Amino acid sequence: MSVLDQIYEKAKADPQKVAFPEAENEKMMQAAYECGQEGYIIPVLVGDEETIKKLAAERGYDINVFKVVDIHEESYKNSVIERYVALEDTKLKEKALGRRMEDPLYYAMAMQKIGDADVTFAGIDNTTGDVLLAGQMIIGLKPGISTISSIGLCDIPGFEGSEGSLLAVGDSAVCTNPNPEQLASIAISACDTVHDLLGWEPRCAMISYSTLGSGQGELIDKVKEALAIAQEQRPDLAIDGEFQLDAAIVPAVAAKKVQRESKVAGKANVLIWPDLNVGNTSVKLIQQFGHADAYGPMLQGFNSVVCDCSRGAPVSEIKGNVVISAVRAAGAKKK
Amino acid sequence: MDRKELEEKIIELVANSYGVDASTLSVDSVFGEDLKGASVQMVGLVSEIENELDAMVALADAAACKTIGELVDKVEEEL
Repeated sequence: MSVLDQIYEKAKADPQKVAFPEAENEKMMQAAYECGQEGYIIPVLVGDEETIKKLAAERGYDINVFKVVDIHEESYKNSVIERYVALEDTKLKEKALGRRMEDPLYYAMAMQKIGDADVTFAGIDNTTGDVLLAGQMIIGLKPGISTISSIGLCDIPGFEGSEGSLLAVGDSAVCTNPNPEQLASIAISACDTVHDLLGWEPRCAMISYSTLGSGQGELIDKVKEALAIAQEQRPDLAIDGEFQLDAAIVPAVAAKKVQRESKVAGKANVLIWPDLNVGNTSVKLIQQFGHADAYGPMLQGFNSVVCDCSRGAPVSEIKGNVVISAVRAAGAKKK
Repeated sequence: MDRKELEEKIIELVANSYGVDASTLSVDSVFGEDLKGASVQMVGLVSEIENELDAMVALADAAACKTIGELVDKVEEEL
């Protein structure tokens, strides 16, 4: 059974409420419908109820598969606002939130913040920037986390790592040039993401061109500083480095280059790149030469799961990402 | 609210969002130099401006402001 099949099975066992603020979009509605009809999620369509119902009927969908939330209906909106502003550590007050909620993206996230949805899934009409801003403003960042970032899950034919052919890598998509604090946040978030999604015990390597001081310079200093911050913030996690890529994932290389105890060296299942130049190039190398399937990018760092899909994504890819998001949300609840 | 009051209010909001003493700030304070912080602080600041001044400034516009004075200009346009 492939990793994606396993994730689909997990989703079916515990379907989560996924809010779709771009429900009128044809591809988004189809993905929401198929995921709902096949039992992976409970799709919550957020927007103008009349338009959504009309479009669903025209497209031949059974409306009963969806829960439709009308953003123009005042009593539920007021209830969401009331419960949102009563929460600690929310940024917007009543009036500002009410105005923002005229946009379904903000409406869906406010529902998620108060627990009426588990995930917000967007990005087909809104830009990545729109989704990240709304997420930071409404959902907020996890305590101690200083940046939004992402990881990808690579399924690499022929790779025999500590999780078989699977390897999680980040950040290859969002945080351009993280400072040490941000790089530490990426590593911590990545560990939480793979644990929530796959149930892994994360073994996270901070990647560099140096292994334990074999090289010197400011690029390496940044990685070392990030490692120290991450270890101090989350001593419960196995995060180690700085390691070259081979020292991180090949036991024989680790045995030579890492002359001390390490839970990570040679058996890392999560790799953290020092910046986006490395991250983006590396994931493309894995795809092009390793012929890998790369799932993601999965956004991380928010208080709960927000997903931004590519605007050009086909329905099959949207479905995969919806289901992955739902399983992450279910995993996070079990903590 | 006149310009001076608006400047004082925004300096107060910037001080809260960035965790600095308002007395150390002026309209000439530079984001990124005098006020170090990630976009997280800017999101907090934009939210506070919405809450307190009822002005919706796009994050991209706020992030493009070099100084507090430029941000005051943006907010003034929205009021």
